[in-house]
Amino acid sequence: MADPNKVDPIHQFAITDVFSTGEGGFAFTNSALFMVLTVGLIIIYLVGSTAGRRLIPGRAQVVSELLYEFVANMVRGAAGTEGMKFFPFVFSLFMFVLIANMFGMIPFFFTVTSHIIITFALAMLVFLVVIAYGFYRNGFKFLKLFVPAGVPAYVLPIVVPIEVVSFLSRPISLSVRLFANILAGHITLKVFAGFIVSLGSLGALGFLGASLPLIMTVAITALEFLVAALQAYVFAVLTSMYINDAIHPSH
Amino acid sequence: MAKPQDDQGLPNSATEATRDLASRIASAKRERAIEANRASASGPPEMSGMARGMRIGTEFIAAILVGAGIGYFIDLGLGTRPWGMLIMFLVGFAAGILNVTRVVTEMNKAAPPPPGSDLGPDMDEDDR
Repeated sequence: MADPNKVDPIHQFAITDVFSTGEGGFAFTNSALFMVLTVGLIIIYLVGSTAGRRLIPGRAQVVSELLYEFVANMVRGAAGTEGMKFFPFVFSLFMFVLIANMFGMIPFFFTVTSHIIITFALAMLVFLVVIAYGFYRNGFKFLKLFVPAGVPAYVLPIVVPIEVVSFLSRPISLSVRLFANILAGHITLKVFAGFIVSLGSLGALGFLGASLPLIMTVAITALEFLVAALQAYVFAVLTSMYINDAIHPSH
Repeated sequence: MAKPQDDQGLPNSATEATRDLASRIASAKRERAIEANRASASGPPEMSGMARGMRIGTEFIAAILVGAGIGYFIDLGLGTRPWGMLIMFLVGFAAGILNVTRVVTEMNKAAPPPPGSDLGPDMDEDDR
């Protein structure tokens, strides 16, 4: 373990300055760089592929249309037609998380969503949008969200705090889920890949042993691609479900 | 083949037919609007077991953390240590259970058991 070349599975999450304007000033970090790259790729791809607006779409346009349809159906399914007002919001979140996760799967790339501050900021955005729109649309009827229908009055003092805490826990569970999945996946990947190196240096027997973590690494890489896509989906679907609560507060 | 016959009909019956058609279109539209407006139960596709566990676990733990956190700040503000945290911790625990039941209900709705499977003796009265 004293080896300076030892495998450090945490190192990949370190934030470094790409450039900065001195101590305490503005700093452009690798996290910011990859956020810019993520947004840039999304814009370039979506704008570029739909620029032709062909009636019979080409390959790139089909992918864009599929993404659109996928998110549109998700929003419509979870929040109804009225929820389509929030389609641009949900679509942006979905694309950002998806592409950021996918960028993270490329070796030597920084994973933006592996930092809880990023996912928490996204979740807080969703949470505040839900509260703001809920009050804007329903006024104080939005507070009915905390009073389930058909509950006798004498249990309300117990039920309402529970509902409030349950509501407040949403941004935390939303952010922790995405962050923990990505973080855990990347650490597992690094640890197993590290086993290959340390076992491989043990000689002939080590080579045989190293093939086992190699197989694991390949399998986990495939799993991580699944997790990257699935977590983006879960994030977006929960966003649309919370928006549904803002539109129809009585459940 | 049916078209010429329709054209030969009396203007009276023709307007009736159009009115009938209009009402049918209206009712179909209404049905569709209801269908679309209701949050349909089209849940997520089959999640992997890991993702499902992660989902339930975070829902549970987040509620406890939030409850304990609120309790901590109540104590800090009112100087009622340790009661606020104790009580809010339990409330958070209850909220966690509530979150978990909600998630599981939703998952069950998304993936109903195959027909004919044995769900126990009194599953009919039980509305999940």
